[in-house]
Amino acid sequence: MKKQIARFWTLEWLGVLPLGALTFLVILPIIWMISTSFQSGDKMYQLTTEWIPSVFHWENYPNGLSRSAFPLFFLNSFIVSAAVMIGNIIFCTLAGYGLSKYRFRGDKIILLLILSTLMLPLEVTLVPTFLIIRKLNWLNTYQGIFAPLLIDAFGIFLMRQFMLRIPTDYIEAARIDGAGEFKILWKIIIPQCKPAIATMAIFSFRDSWDQFIWPLVIVSVDEYRTYPLGLVRFGEDYGNPPTEQMAIAVLATIPVFLIFWILQRSLRTGFTMSGLKG
Amino acid sequence: MLTIGRAQISVSRWQLSYESRIKFWGILFILPTILFFLIFKYGPMIWAIYLSFTGYDIVTKPKYIGLSNYISIFKDPIFLQALNNTLVYIVGSTIAITIIGLGLALLINTGIKASRFFMSSMFLTNIMPILAVCLVWRFLFHPHGLVNQFLSPLGLGRIDWLTNSYLALPAIIIVTAWRFAPYFMVVFLAGLLAVPKEIYEAADIDGVTPFSRFFRITLPMISPIVFFVVVVSALLCARIFLMPFIITGGGPGGATRVLSMLIYETGFSYLKMGRAAAISVILFLIMMVFTILQIRLFSKTEEY
Repeated sequence: MKKQIARFWTLEWLGVLPLGALTFLVILPIIWMISTSFQSGDKMYQLTTEWIPSVFHWENYPNGLSRSAFPLFFLNSFIVSAAVMIGNIIFCTLAGYGLSKYRFRGDKIILLLILSTLMLPLEVTLVPTFLIIRKLNWLNTYQGIFAPLLIDAFGIFLMRQFMLRIPTDYIEAARIDGAGEFKILWKIIIPQCKPAIATMAIFSFRDSWDQFIWPLVIVSVDEYRTYPLGLVRFGEDYGNPPTEQMAIAVLATIPVFLIFWILQRSLRTGFTMSGLKG
Repeated sequence: MLTIGRAQISVSRWQLSYESRIKFWGILFILPTILFFLIFKYGPMIWAIYLSFTGYDIVTKPKYIGLSNYISIFKDPIFLQALNNTLVYIVGSTIAITIIGLGLALLINTGIKASRFFMSSMFLTNIMPILAVCLVWRFLFHPHGLVNQFLSPLGLGRIDWLTNSYLALPAIIIVTAWRFAPYFMVVFLAGLLAVPKEIYEAADIDGVTPFSRFFRITLPMISPIVFFVVVVSALLCARIFLMPFIITGGGPGGATRVLSMLIYETGFSYLKMGRAAAISVILFLIMMVFTILQIRLFSKTEEY
């Protein structure tokens, strides 16, 4: 017994080193990105000798930002991602509730049809979606960028799986007390679904923050360009130092990182409780 | 008797209208979603199928040309190469993501000190914008980049990761695994935590070896999760665009050009919308196979 406890103890502690080393190796590219963003332009490829720059070139950040309309591009990305996030929060919550707590003819078929849209991402429907947006005269507009992203099937699935766990008795009791359906959703369901909503919000924000092919297709003026388009162009222009490109990449990481960090706790609950268990 | 019967009728009539009122609300909650998916998912898909039978350059009206687009793409070596690349990429990445994700989850699940902290750190690869991932790895795979510097003790010499047509696609698979495996690690971990502790305790009493403990207990218990991860990552990889677009630009010699890139080039660089739609339909069919698998799995595990 004593021996077993001792073995357990050593395993718990000895494992820290290899696992820590592995983790370090995994996040090394991220450290490289941050380190590079502070390097001077000509030191790019000598990095193994200098992970912590002897001189921090903070000016890479303002210089990078000023070489193109990056503040505007970031603002555009924010507007689009916020719209997508809000759209997902509203519509996925509604649909998830409708699909988990109501029975009507064809409800299962509707659920399957919604899940099936996972095989119709924008990469597949690129041409016709572009033609639709063009017909609506929404090329080079915010709504043109965010409209096709407003509802994601994965968010609905997540909300539904989470809501299935809420006992229907609560709802029945509220109905007997004369509460309307909207009031039930607002007062009873939503307060219990905060982790799932947070999880969905985070991922929808990140996905639209990452969105590239769609703005690439429908935006052709600087005014509505999102930061990924600007950043790729920045790299293509000869003479723009890669260190400044990395500085912009670091800046682009910060908002997503902050959202994940703030909502971490909800994320963990959302992850383990929303049916990702299979 | 009669009065009781009448009372029952009136009650059930009242219930019916009450119930259908509730049903009405349920449908109302889903209605925006249904409309949205009709306009932005199913509508475009039907339109794409229609366009795939036409020649269309945006300027003039679509002209019906039958199966010409399909016949011509299947004779086109560029399309066949992209199709092949996409399939190789899906299979390679899915295997890498699943094995690495599960491996990491098992490591975290051993209860090593601070394993939660390590897990959150590794999850950072999933938080970084995917474009930043691509830009960073393009530098890391540079002939003088970090990857080769790390491999130099092995004496492999200077490896041209991104300009060698045999290594470019594997390089992108490495980036894909780096990006997505930590995400699926968390999914796997949720599954591992759900396996009842009693089973392991019973196995420990019987003196089961770690090897059969994994293959006889853990793996069968989490097999639905493994399947889920395989299907979801395959769907994720089928639509990949940005990684080859940024890291290799589809090169060298088209060795990393995937179907989504070809759709973009055909439709928006060459303005052959009909042909691009035909390629979309093929990509759609590939994704449909995985979606059907997913729905099957879903209906199996579903408790109504």
